[in-house]
Amino acid sequence: MDCINERNTDIGTFQPESDDAIIVCRCEEITKGEIRKAVHDGMRTLTEVRRYLRAGMGLCQGQTCAKLVKNIVAKELKISPAKLEPATSRAPMRPTEMKILANETLEGVPKNE
Amino acid sequence: MERVDLIIVGAGPSGLSAAIAAKEYGLRTVVFDENEKPGGQLFKQIHKFFGSKEHKAKIRGYKIGQELLKEAAELGVEVVLNSTVIGLYQDKEITVRIADEIRHYKGDTIIIATGASENMVMFDGWTLPGVIGAGAAQTMLNLHGILPGNRILMLGSGNVGLVVSYQLKQCGCDVVAVIDAAPKIGGYGVHASKIARTGIPFYLPYTIIKAEGTDHVTGVTIGKVDSTWNIVPGSEKHFDVDTICLAVGLSPMSQLLKMAGCTMEDTPKKGGQVPVINKYGETSVSGIFVCGDVSGIEEASSAMIEGKIAGIAAAYSLGYLSADVQCEETAKLENALSSLRQGMFAPGKRGTAIEFTEEGFPVSAHLLINGYLSEDEALCYPGVTKADGVHPMIECTQNIPCNPCQDACQNGCIKIGEKITSLPAVNGEQNCVGCGMCVAACPGQAIFLVNDDYEPGFASITIPYELLTLPQKGETGIGLGRHGEILCQAEVIEVRAAKVFDRTNLVTIKVPSQMSMKVRFYQKKEA
Repeated sequence: MDCINERNTDIGTFQPESDDAIIVCRCEEITKGEIRKAVHDGMRTLTEVRRYLRAGMGLCQGQTCAKLVKNIVAKELKISPAKLEPATSRAPMRPTEMKILANETLEGVPKNE
Repeated sequence: MERVDLIIVGAGPSGLSAAIAAKEYGLRTVVFDENEKPGGQLFKQIHKFFGSKEHKAKIRGYKIGQELLKEAAELGVEVVLNSTVIGLYQDKEITVRIADEIRHYKGDTIIIATGASENMVMFDGWTLPGVIGAGAAQTMLNLHGILPGNRILMLGSGNVGLVVSYQLKQCGCDVVAVIDAAPKIGGYGVHASKIARTGIPFYLPYTIIKAEGTDHVTGVTIGKVDSTWNIVPGSEKHFDVDTICLAVGLSPMSQLLKMAGCTMEDTPKKGGQVPVINKYGETSVSGIFVCGDVSGIEEASSAMIEGKIAGIAAAYSLGYLSADVQCEETAKLENALSSLRQGMFAPGKRGTAIEFTEEGFPVSAHLLINGYLSEDEALCYPGVTKADGVHPMIECTQNIPCNPCQDACQNGCIKIGEKITSLPAVNGEQNCVGCGMCVAACPGQAIFLVNDDYEPGFASITIPYELLTLPQKGETGIGLGRHGEILCQAEVIEVRAAKVFDRTNLVTIKVPSQMSMKVRFYQKKEA
């Protein structure tokens, strides 16, 4: 969290690594290199990385990769992963089709009836 | 919108325990679970649990699950399955997906018991089919009856990695190795030893370099890591495998709590993002409680106690019981919880190196690196004694909260004492009758009966046996050592499979006298 206020910290330039091509977010097919580059492009919070790349915004909603992305971003920023605030949690917690989301039941009576 | 006294999210061990406790005080309670069956992870835990009687020790996890469901059903706890809580809003209102609609519920109190999800680790080829979580492998094996593969490499030597490796072996899979990037085995030594003696090797500190294959896993290359996390050149090893299991920890599924605005903290010792809670499991949002893995990764035994504490706290906050009763009941549960949180593997001790047991015995370094005791080391502990006639040999060398062996022996041969984490000691003064109750009771399969005076030149050894194809009396096979090494010919002289042993069969073999301190497992001869 501290790093939000430290946007001007010099983290050096992007240095290619041998495993940059490895896929981290499987749902949206985002690679390690893309995530590392995003940090150098100025994305210094997990929320920013999510919006910039869509990493963690696919079918599993980051259930698999959230921790991996967090560690990659933290390493790039040279800070402890615990200092990074996780991305916002919001409904729906699980992938839900639009037609179901729209089919809300209030006061026990489905809207569309 | 339906309104209830208490909404519980998650029907695993902690959620069900919370529901039972709350229902006993009369709260109108509803439990939601996204799965098609209740019980969470309990029904895939086919091994015997550690602990004492009050923690349901030596009972297999799935049986604890059955007991919980029965108790919940008798009390009339309403469990709604196939229902996913997708949002937790202000004033404790939730949205639940049930079938093809979204329903709203409001709880005067809410208990979040969503548990945890498996961590993953990246390496070249980690997205290939065949790379799976160890928990997933356990679900396939024990819930669906499907083998995840035939030849398997396990990454991770924590209790999950060790227990699942053993269960894979029980199902007939070939586990080629258990590896861990840490320099020491993370789980209980007794869990490591029971797989080591079947011949599964440990490689530490090793990590996966590459999963090989084009459209599925066909092999894996591992390499030794140095202190700077680089691969030691020349240390690479290749295995032909079709499955790679990852057992690299769990993360609390705490997103609903974050959404509700609970104050969160990132605690590596608890597994990641967890809510800040008081001793009753209440979060910073009044009326929202947590229990189980979502509040910090632990075991099912402690999750069930946390659930009860949270259920009682919810009942108290709505005025269903007095402060005195809450204090009294909670104090009892806290005692039970703290006795589980003792010993070398206590949550507070994670990551610390422990060199001596509580009794002052040196901790076996061999066990922590290779997964088994060396013969010299074994002789140092109070459970390993030389005696005339048949006597127990207890290779239990770490302070873990577990004492069923003490209760199992009717003759007082085994003593642990008041402190549940103490190492079991064999009392040579008492007369062992060779009943084998201790061998079957030990959840760590760490007790053997040895008789050095079986016949001139021969000793008998009784071993706990839970693999498939039970040996037959009269057959001759191979006596294996503590790391599965072939030592000698062994004749099966007795096989006991009493109901009271709860599927831990007792196989007694006859081996040459000089092998009595070496042989710890039996293998059938290849047909």
